[in-house]
Amino acid sequence: MRVLAIEDDPDVGAHLVSGLGEAGFIVDLVSDGDEAWFRGDTEDYAAVILDLGLPRLDGLSVLRRWRSAGRTFPVLILSARGDWDEKAEGIDAGADDYMAKPFVMRELVSRLRGLLRRIAGHVSATITVGRLSLDTSRMTAAIDGRTIRLSPLEYRFLDLLTHQPGRVAAPQQIAEHLYGTADAGDTNAIEALVTRLRRKIGPDIVETRRGLGYALVEDAA
Amino acid sequence: MNARSFHARLIVGAALAILLALAVAGSGLVWLFQRHVEHREALSMEAKAKELLPGLRLDAAGRPVADTKPSDGRFWRPAGSLYWQASTTTGSIYSRSLWDQTLGSPGENTGETWTLRRADGPFGHRLVIISRLIRPDASRRPITVQFATDDDALVQSFQEFRLETTLALCLLWVVLVLAATLQVRLGLRPFGRVSAELDRLRRNPAERLSSDHPHEIAPLVEAINALADARASDLERARRRAADLAHSLKTPLAALAAQSQGARAEGATRSADALDHTIAVAQAALEAELARARSAIARESRAPREADVAASVERIVSVIERTGAGSMLVFDIDVEARLRAPLASSDLSEILGALIENAARFARRRIAVRAFYRAPSVSIRISDDGPGMQSGRVSEALVRGARLDETGPGHGFGLSIVVDLVSATGGTMTFGEAGLGGLLVAIDWPFDPHAVPEPVA
Repeated sequence: MRVLAIEDDPDVGAHLVSGLGEAGFIVDLVSDGDEAWFRGDTEDYAAVILDLGLPRLDGLSVLRRWRSAGRTFPVLILSARGDWDEKAEGIDAGADDYMAKPFVMRELVSRLRGLLRRIAGHVSATITVGRLSLDTSRMTAAIDGRTIRLSPLEYRFLDLLTHQPGRVAAPQQIAEHLYGTADAGDTNAIEALVTRLRRKIGPDIVETRRGLGYALVEDAA
Repeated sequence: MNARSFHARLIVGAALAILLALAVAGSGLVWLFQRHVEHREALSMEAKAKELLPGLRLDAAGRPVADTKPSDGRFWRPAGSLYWQASTTTGSIYSRSLWDQTLGSPGENTGETWTLRRADGPFGHRLVIISRLIRPDASRRPITVQFATDDDALVQSFQEFRLETTLALCLLWVVLVLAATLQVRLGLRPFGRVSAELDRLRRNPAERLSSDHPHEIAPLVEAINALADARASDLERARRRAADLAHSLKTPLAALAAQSQGARAEGATRSADALDHTIAVAQAALEAELARARSAIARESRAPREADVAASVERIVSVIERTGAGSMLVFDIDVEARLRAPLASSDLSEILGALIENAARFARRRIAVRAFYRAPSVSIRISDDGPGMQSGRVSEALVRGARLDETGPGHGFGLSIVVDLVSATGGTMTFGEAGLGGLLVAIDWPFDPHAVPEPVA
């Protein structure tokens, strides 16, 4: 599995190559922003590890360019700056995860695998039900053409509903899909998930069928 | 009252100056009074002398003879307190009041106008005497005429006047000293306010002296404020440089970690262990310095600090729900619309980030974030449905460097950084049991959302 590592410090770069190599990844190491943008834009990578403080073009600009060009590979930012505002800025720019330096290689590998697992099996496709379009490669939703970023859990919830349009998903089924267990447990958690989702995509996309579960509205005006 | 204080010096100085002025004024008054009374006595005696002088002549032997005598009964009563005497070198005539006594000689410098003197007189009295020469016959020797009155009554009235004046002036002194004290107090009150404000500035470097002081001390106040600003900006610059330095050391530390990994791969396990230990110590020092810098800047910041709570919560949750443990959790967010909190947005992000990330490590499925205003505080409640925390572990969690979750990622400074930062921004943080079953973290900042934020100096 090829990953692109972008790091301008030669020691850290070599560490990434060897550590990720040992974990079974094929690593392309790039040390400046311009080349990173070019490589990411023209070649296919399973994932990208991106340093932010890069010569020529900073990491966030590289990331924004990729995302606006439709590049959907998962990106893990690896930066010396660990402030939450900076993490939020990275996530807003399209990153999927964020790690602060100095880092432990074991943790980096584990988070990278987690990212890859999340997108595994998602073919590049858009499923449309009513006003909702779900981009299964970028794990985003669009309502009337407006793109909305979803959390992994929200995405999985909508993914379940879009795969059974018109049918009601019961809490147990939702729990199994979300958590891998049929134990609905705290159904309030699912209600809270739907409440938060409705704030993002609007109140009339997901319908509550009292006592039964949730379904997508197919013919919402 | 400190002898070195302005207050004491001014009051003691004013009291002494007033005392001196009143003493001089009192002496002057007594002297004027005495002079006035003596003058009146002299005039009175001169008037009485007018009864004697027209009838005064010399007999053939050159002795004075009075055809008319003053009629006041006191001249006729022995020791009657009024006396007269007319004398030449050959003889004298007296008022009956002198009985067998005489008035002393007035001295050589007696002229033809009345002169006043004091002298001991008959019957053990002290007298006020006026005397002059008179020439009934221009060709013959002059007659020395003296009129006298007892000085005792005058002396007594002088003494009474002196006593009353002294009492009145003492009373006046007390009143004036009180007035001076009041004046000094009022005059120095601005300094007292400066002193109180300086004390506040010393305790909280973000404070400044107010700008409504009297114009006489305004330059001093401005100079102190400018000094405090310069100190604050130097301090902030130094702290930011320390923070930048700490950040800039993180990549070299990562490089060092890489070399440690390399050494380990080559079998140099002991060297790699030593290197890893050093890296951990350095990282701990860096994180501590960064946290200290952030807290200090938050504590001393003078900029109007207000964060949009809903926006901050959403930003942080958007990071946590996409990464790590947070990606499997539901975030139940209930924040009052347009709620503001009295701290910088970046500080609120750090607090929320560390707390929600910590909650995400322990939560089973759900994290609830509530934020609301209940006068007089803005409150944030973060709770999870995890296992919760035993009370003993709460204090453990607050020790810098301690970690609650030894297995997960993180450097272990999260909660202690949050405690510092909450305290630096004037808030309080408490732990409890959440309704969801896990840990409840409650943060409250005293805040008046209707107050106008103070302008940046």
